[in-house]
This record gives sequence, structure tokens and C-alpha cells, in this order.
Amino acid sequence: MTAGFLKRCTGLLASPRLATLLLAAFGAWAALASIVGAQHAFTSPPFLVLVSMLAVSTGVCAWQRTRVAVRRAGMLKRVRELLPDAGEAQWDFAIECDPSLDTAAVLDIAEAALARAGLAARRDGTCVCAASPAWSVWGSPVFHWALVAAIVVIPLGGLVRSSGQMGLAVGQTAPDQPSSYGVLDQGPLRDWGDVTRQIRVDEFDVNCSAGGVDRGPTPTVSVLDADGEVIASQLVYPNKTLKTGSLAVYPADYGLATTVELTDASGTETKRVRQLVDFSGSAEGGTAPMSALVLEDANGETEYRMLVSVPLDPAEGGGYLARLPEAPRARIKVENASGGTAFDEEVRPGETVALPVGGTLRLLDVGYYARLQLVDDPSIPVLYLVLALAVVGLGVTTLAEQMLLVASPVETAERIRLLARLRLWRTLSVSRAEIEAELRAGLQAPSAEEA
Amino acid sequence: MTLEVIAIWMALLLYAASTAMSVIGVVFARDKLAARAVAVAGAGLACQTLSLGLRWVRVGHGPYLGFYEVAGALVFCTVAAFVLVAFRRPRLASAGIGIMPVALLLLGGSMLAQSSEVAMTAKLTSFWLFVHVAFANMAFGAFALSFGCAIAFVARARSRTGAWAKRLEKLPAQEALENLTVRYVLVGFFFWGIMIVTGAIWANEAWGRYWGWDPIETWSLIVWIIYAVYLHARFALRWSGEKLAWFAIVAMPLALFALIGIPAAFDTPHAGIGGYGRDL
Ligand code: HEM
Repeated sequence: MTAGFLKRCTGLLASPRLATLLLAAFGAWAALASIVGAQHAFTSPPFLVLVSMLAVSTGVCAWQRTRVAVRRAGMLKRVRELLPDAGEAQWDFAIECDPSLDTAAVLDIAEAALARAGLAARRDGTCVCAASPAWSVWGSPVFHWALVAAIVVIPLGGLVRSSGQMGLAVGQTAPDQPSSYGVLDQGPLRDWGDVTRQIRVDEFDVNCSAGGVDRGPTPTVSVLDADGEVIASQLVYPNKTLKTGSLAVYPADYGLATTVELTDASGTETKRVRQLVDFSGSAEGGTAPMSALVLEDANGETEYRMLVSVPLDPAEGGGYLARLPEAPRARIKVENASGGTAFDEEVRPGETVALPVGGTLRLLDVGYYARLQLVDDPSIPVLYLVLALAVVGLGVTTLAEQMLLVASPVETAERIRLLARLRLWRTLSVSRAEIEAELRAGLQAPSAEEA
Repeated sequence: MTLEVIAIWMALLLYAASTAMSVIGVVFARDKLAARAVAVAGAGLACQTLSLGLRWVRVGHGPYLGFYEVAGALVFCTVAAFVLVAFRRPRLASAGIGIMPVALLLLGGSMLAQSSEVAMTAKLTSFWLFVHVAFANMAFGAFALSFGCAIAFVARARSRTGAWAKRLEKLPAQEALENLTVRYVLVGFFFWGIMIVTGAIWANEAWGRYWGWDPIETWSLIVWIIYAVYLHARFALRWSGEKLAWFAIVAMPLALFALIGIPAAFDTPHAGIGGYGRDL
């Protein structure tokens, strides 16, 4: 009973009608989701069930297409063995030839007729055959298998993939670990345990030009190993991704970075921190801090939040960079626990100011930071390979003809006939009727009226 | 007026003439006129090539950016495919009745839209742009041909005994016409597939994600799936005749929508090749 049930299931999954229906359902779902703007429809359970069914059905069909291809390839390789035999009627069509023709003449005429029908026929002893190369039948299975592989590889990649953004000031190095990311999406099986590399932004060119094209603000990024040795280093701009292993680094955005040094009441340095500042249309002064720095008092209790921004020139137009003052300053704002402003001053690089929490702050530097998009997805090369295979398979299945024709004259005392076997699995340039018509036109004796 | 503008207007006029000649040729059963319509379309194509070439040199990039350029490139591929096919198979000349009006409307529409050039940005400077867009255009050319053949098929199927049957008798036999429709769908499906794959690779290279279900990606996939359904209907379910022809007729406008209609219908930053001058 189990075997019977399994067979019925496979039968159903292999049904072309179901496959077509599943494809149509996929298209309809995608169209509907796109029209109503329901992005979550593409991750919702019904859609995932639909895609899984499509994958299984395509797998079963790919298996069937493989068996068909094996059979066809076998026939194409052994065309001569298919030679029709006059004894048993295994021919697909027979043409009664003009009795004045002999075997050699029939073969000559048949070859020429097939050439007129657009088939590359060749003579092989006492037969004429036209057969597509054996590889032509492999397009369909390769394509269908590649589709199955793509439907499997994509979610598998999603399980181990991580994709996130990290902001790094020029000169800053950070370990490639979740704590260094501002935003991070990761698959449930993403394992950070063996990741020891570090990311560094070496330089930032505000007006980078490469290959004759203005690339805009561009960082130079390095990936370092655990010992600090550079593994890869390059300019990173749109369409020029830094790749090393399964990691790819893209430019996402940029902003300003301030470095401040904090001292305690006794004058000893307690902290040297980089505060990243984003350009912002809505913020006063045109920039806003990416995050607040929490200041602790002597007892270690949090009391104040420090916000650093870099006021831009008020000039209109020209973008944010054009509004950056020649000698940029930082605006330091300190808020107390209840949100009241305890301190709000502009500080120049090198300048020191006393903080309400005790101790001092010195602005060391105002520079740039690069926001990088880091994607670690080991499935990408596999996916590219699968897609390439799909394209090759699709190219073969859509553009190559798959056909086989073998014909041979059989002569008896009173008549001569051309017996032919024909398989047109995929020919779109010529039909069975056209091939037969060409052959008949050349070989048949002219009828009384034609004569 | 510059030569570039004069040439595109000449192309438009010649395409209009070719459309009129195709229609008159078929309606009044003037075979010679339908055949000459191909030659006139060819002359229009030469003018459009000149205009496209001059613009390419002037703006420094191919016709990929902005509605004017993209629609022009689609028209170019459609007419080139038609002229090439009709040259090799003169009996297909009457299929121009389905193809030339599409080309004419599309070119006219693009000339009404803004034709100012869109600057090549760093984000667009990629080898993938060229491959991606070239295959999109070629796929559309093939789909337009399948559309033309399917229209001719239906027109004749509906008038097997009527006066139209005589007007269309020069066309290849229905079976051959159907095979041609399928063949052009196959070619278009293959090119469209390459367009999607190269688009996904480019998205991954540029943005770090190969698929994001944004409207343009979703609709290209929908169109591809629709044509996959067509091919299964033909090869696996053995559909044929008018039913199959209508399928090809309905699918083509959807392909056109995916190529140029998305930015108008959806608010998307990924405006695709039909972007009205918007950046990626
Ligand atoms: C993602 C899903 C699928 C896509 C995009 C797709 C696409 C195609 C295409 C383009 C063709 C025509 C070219 C060729 O012969 O290979 C085709 C043919 C075919 N497909 Fe699929 N397919 C899919 C899934 C399936 C499934 C699930 C089945 C199972 C029934 C199936 C069975 C067939 C069959 C029987 C043919 C006819 C082959 C022939 O007669 O030469 N396909 N498919």
C-alpha cells in the first residue's frame, strides 16, 4: 500500500498539469502581492508551501526529463541501429520511389531533399541520416535540475548568511563580529565562532575618480586577519566590491567622525572615543549623531548623555559636503537624566572644555567615516554556478533542435521504397509534413497528369 | 534641429508609413504593399540607427537610461527582428500588421516623453548594465515577433472561409506560423532568463543582495513565469491553435509593462531600464 501510495504521489507531482498550475499560482501570487504592496507575502507560509511544492514537482520532472534524455541520447548515438527493416514494419513512413531509380540515386535524391528541408543529412553506407548531436537532448534536464538546485540553494544560503552595516571612521579597525555592526540580519545557522578577521577603513577620498568616472566619496577598505596582516585592500565604490572568501564589502553611505578624549577630575585620560555623525536634512546644523555617548559619574552611575554633531555652513545647495566648513568644529551637547541641556558648546580640534559630569573633553579630530555593507554568504558562488548551468541548459533546450531521421532504400524485383524512421522531439524550423513532402517530391514517380 | 533629431523623426514617419502599408496591404489583399512595408521599415530602422548612434556618441553611453532611450532601444530591437525575419522569410511580411503598430506607438510615446539625457552615474557604470539591458531588449524583440505571428495566426484562423482568408493566404501555413510563434517565445524566454540572471548578479555586485522582490524584479519574474506556463502548455500539455496564440498575444503587453511601465505604476527606487531618469 505504501509503495502504491508513493507511486500515486510521484505520479501526481510529475503531472505536467499540476506543474503548470503551480507555476501559474506562483505568478498570480507574486502579481497580487506586488499590486497590493504586501512584501511579507513572499515570506509567508502559503507562499513557501507553494515554492516547496514547485521544487518537489520540478525535481520529479527533472528526473523524468533525465530518463527521457538518456533514452534519446542513446538513440542519437546509435542511429544506424535504428535502420528500418522491410521485414517488420518498423518504419514511420515509406515512400514509393520512381522504379527507374536505383539505390544510389534514391540516396542522392533523399540527401538533397533533406538539405532543402533545412536538415544536415549525411550518407552512411546504404542509408541517409540526419541526427542532432547527443548533447542537444541534455538541455531540458540540466535546466530543470538547475532550477531545483536554485530553489534549494537560495533558502540554504539564507540560513547561514549574514548581512549588515558597520560604520568605521578613517583609521578605525573593528572585528567582524556582531558587536561591530549597527544593523545586522543573520540566518539562524550563522556561526561567528570561527570568524577572526577585522575590517579597517584606511582612507576616505571625498572626490574619488577612477576609470575616468567620478565615483563620489570613496573609502579604501582593508580586511585583516587575526594577526593584523592585510588579506585584501582596495577602494570600495559602487560596482567595485571588495571580496575575500565568502565576504563582500560594499559602500553603503558615509558621514563625519569626531574623535574626543575624556579625562577625569584628576586629569587622567579615561576614554578616547569616536562618535559618528550622519548628515541629516531635518537636524539643526545639518548633522546628527548616530548614537549618544553615555557618561558615567564617579560612582559609575549613568547620569548624562553626550551628543556630538558637526554644524555645517547654512549655505543652500551643493550637497552636504559643500557645506562642510573649511575648519570643521564639533558641537558637544550634554543632557542630564531628565533630558535637560547641561552643556552645549562648539569646540575646535585641539580645544579642551570642562564637562558638567566632572573632568574634561578634548576634541582631537573631525574626519570622515564610511558606512560599509558587509555580506557573508557562502552560497553565492554556488548560486552563480547554478544560474550559469540554468542559462546553458535553457540555451540548449530552447535553441538546439532535437531530431533524428534515418532512411534507407529497400529494393525488391518490382519496386523500390525509401523506408524512414523519424523522431522530431524538438524542431521548430521544419515539420514532419514538410520533410515528407520534400522527400516525396524528389523521389516519387511523376503521376500521369504531371508527366 | 540636429541630425539626431531629424533622423528620429524620419524613423517615426517611415515606421508610420510602414504600419499603414502593412495594414492596407493586408486589408486590401495587396501582397506587394505588405512586402514593401518591410523595406520601408528597414529604411526607418536605418534612420533610427543613425539617431541612436549619434546620441550614443554625444552622451557617451548606450541607450539604457531614461524612458526615451529605453523605449527607443526596444523599438529598434523589435523592428530589427521583424525586418530580419521578414527578409529571410518574405511570406511573414504580413505579420507586420501586428508588429509595426507596436513599434510606432512605442517610439511615438517615447518622443512625447522627456528626451533629455540622463547622466551615467557611478552606480550605473557596470559591465552588467550593458549585458542586462541588451538581453532585455532582445527578449522584447523576440516576444514582439511572437505577438505579430500570433496575431496573424488568429486573424486567419477566424476567417478561414471569409474574405480575410484570401488576404492572408500568403502567410506561411498555420502550423508553420504556430511553430514560429513558439520559436520566438522560446528565444525570448531564453533572453529574458539571461536578463533576470544578469540583473540578479548585478544587484548582488552593486547592493549585496541578489533578489529583493522589488516591483521590477517581481514583474520580470512574473513575465518569465507566464511564458514558462505558455511553454508548458505547448510542450507538456500539448496546447495548440487559437488558445495558444491568444496566450502569446496577452503575454507580450505584460512584458512591455515590466520593461517600461513599472516606474509609472509603482513607487520604486529601482526604476529599471524604463526609469524616467531616476537613479538606481
Ligand atoms: C520553476 C519551474 C519550471 C520552469 C521555469 C520550467 C520551464 C520549462 C521550459 C522553459 C520548458 C521548455 C523547454 C524544455 O523543453 O526544457 C519546459 C519544458 C518542460 N517542462 Fe518545465 N519548468 C519548470 C518546472 C517543471 C515541472 C514542475 C515539470 C513537471 C511536470 C516540468 C515538466 C516539463 C516538461 C514535461 C517539459 C516538456 C519538455 C519537452 O517536451 O521537450 N517542468 N519547462
